[in-house]
Amino acid sequence: MYGLEAINANNGWAISAVGISIVFTGLVVLSLVISQLHKVVDLYENPEKIKEWFAPKPAPEPEPEALAEAAADLSEAQRDDVRQFELLAKTLDAHFALPRLLHLAESRGINTPHSNLNLLLNIGIVVPDMEGYFCWDSERFDQTIAG
Amino acid sequence: MEFFQNTGFYLCDYRNIIMIIIGMIFIWLGISKDYEPLLLVPIGFGMLIGNIPIFKGLGLGIYESNSVLHYLYFGVTQGIYPPLVFLGIGAMTDFSTLLARPVLMLLGAAAQTGIFITFLGALALGFAPNEASAIGIIGGADGPTAIFLTAKLAPQLIGPIAVAAYSYMALVPVIQPPIMRLLTTKEERRIHMEEPRQVSKREKMIFPVVAFLLCCFLAPAALPLLGMLCFGNVLKEAVVTERLAETARNAIIDTATILLGVTVGASTQGDVFLTGSSVGIFVLGALSFCVATACGLLFAKFMNLFLKEKINPLVGAAGVSAVPDSARVVQMVGMKEDPTNFLLMHAMAPNVSGVIGSAIAAGVLWSLMV
Repeated sequence: MYGLEAINANNGWAISAVGISIVFTGLVVLSLVISQLHKVVDLYENPEKIKEWFAPKPAPEPEPEALAEAAADLSEAQRDDVRQFELLAKTLDAHFALPRLLHLAESRGINTPHSNLNLLLNIGIVVPDMEGYFCWDSERFDQTIAG
Repeated sequence: MEFFQNTGFYLCDYRNIIMIIIGMIFIWLGISKDYEPLLLVPIGFGMLIGNIPIFKGLGLGIYESNSVLHYLYFGVTQGIYPPLVFLGIGAMTDFSTLLARPVLMLLGAAAQTGIFITFLGALALGFAPNEASAIGIIGGADGPTAIFLTAKLAPQLIGPIAVAAYSYMALVPVIQPPIMRLLTTKEERRIHMEEPRQVSKREKMIFPVVAFLLCCFLAPAALPLLGMLCFGNVLKEAVVTERLAETARNAIIDTATILLGVTVGASTQGDVFLTGSSVGIFVLGALSFCVATACGLLFAKFMNLFLKEKINPLVGAAGVSAVPDSARVVQMVGMKEDPTNFLLMHAMAPNVSGVIGSAIAAGVLWSLMV
């Protein structure tokens, strides 16, 4: 048997198609794997990158212009409240827990302490330190309230 | 008178003379023209050994059981030498360029298309499927793989297939350049490829293990060849096993190559070698080699349709696994067009992937034919 008849009789087309497909599949999969290999090796060599993936993302910093606008909108009564909060903050450590400041404000009889504390956070005078505590930004306070 | 009847002069056949002349040409090509001397010289001398006319029954010939040559030939017929050669190749090969640009691996796969096209051609010429598979693998341009598969599928064809495979491997600098020039334009041959990135030692260490597991899970019949290739590479990259790697890439591969070459050469006795099917095998082998080269080149051009950073299509020709000769030819042809274009390191990527690809192809054909 010769020619196309021989190829058909021996399943030549199917064998060739399967063979080419397997060779291609093998090398394509291998090339895909090794194209990512350097990334895996990089992670193994720098494990801190894995931690970065799972670390909580920092809250986005408010835009300075937005903060300035918010500060400009404060009423005189609100500015007084902020000044009282500043006095309270001075009695605390540099890094303090927000409930502690709130408790002090409530015990000193400051008006609407929750609302005022929210205001301080919004205008960026009380800022998170990314470790669960907060700081008083004196510079910002001077610019927006005292100034 | 009886003594004279036992001499080679009396027993000589014209076919022995032809094979002795071919053997001498092989030795001449190896020594004077520097065409794969490490292969052609042992094979050529083996042809001289195998074609000394001998009195049958004395236990001298390679096909007579209990002869020394027959025992040495056992390593060929049982597929022992090719994995040893692959061990040495693994211990010599640096896969950095492949790791730096894995997409070039596809060129090694494309060039293996030649194997299957030749398989179809051999079937059409009337060869049995197992013989057609063994003939097709010549297109892989990998002598050890061709011998390994032939030993498993068509041991009666080992002589012509091994000689054809090694002849065409030696003739890579003659066969490939015209095809490369025919299928590429001047502009394409002048394409510069960007420098490959630095590859870490750890990547090179992990690669042979991953490659072995992936490829052998897919095509388990490639295990003897790929297993030894990857093991050799692990020895090389592990550094702590440098002594073993040194032995694999020197003593073991040299011993295996000598025994393989001499016994394959000796198996080409005129009366069993010079047949019509041998001529068919040589014609199909040449076709297979040309088709494999063309497939690699054309696939590189096809990839350029999609790639942002174009590749020089010449590197596609290195997809045939004649390591490192076809990569050298790519460099040579590229430099003729532009002396500042260094393609050797880029061509090594498809070249070594061709070795992996041809081993997978051999494994696939073996498993489909058994």
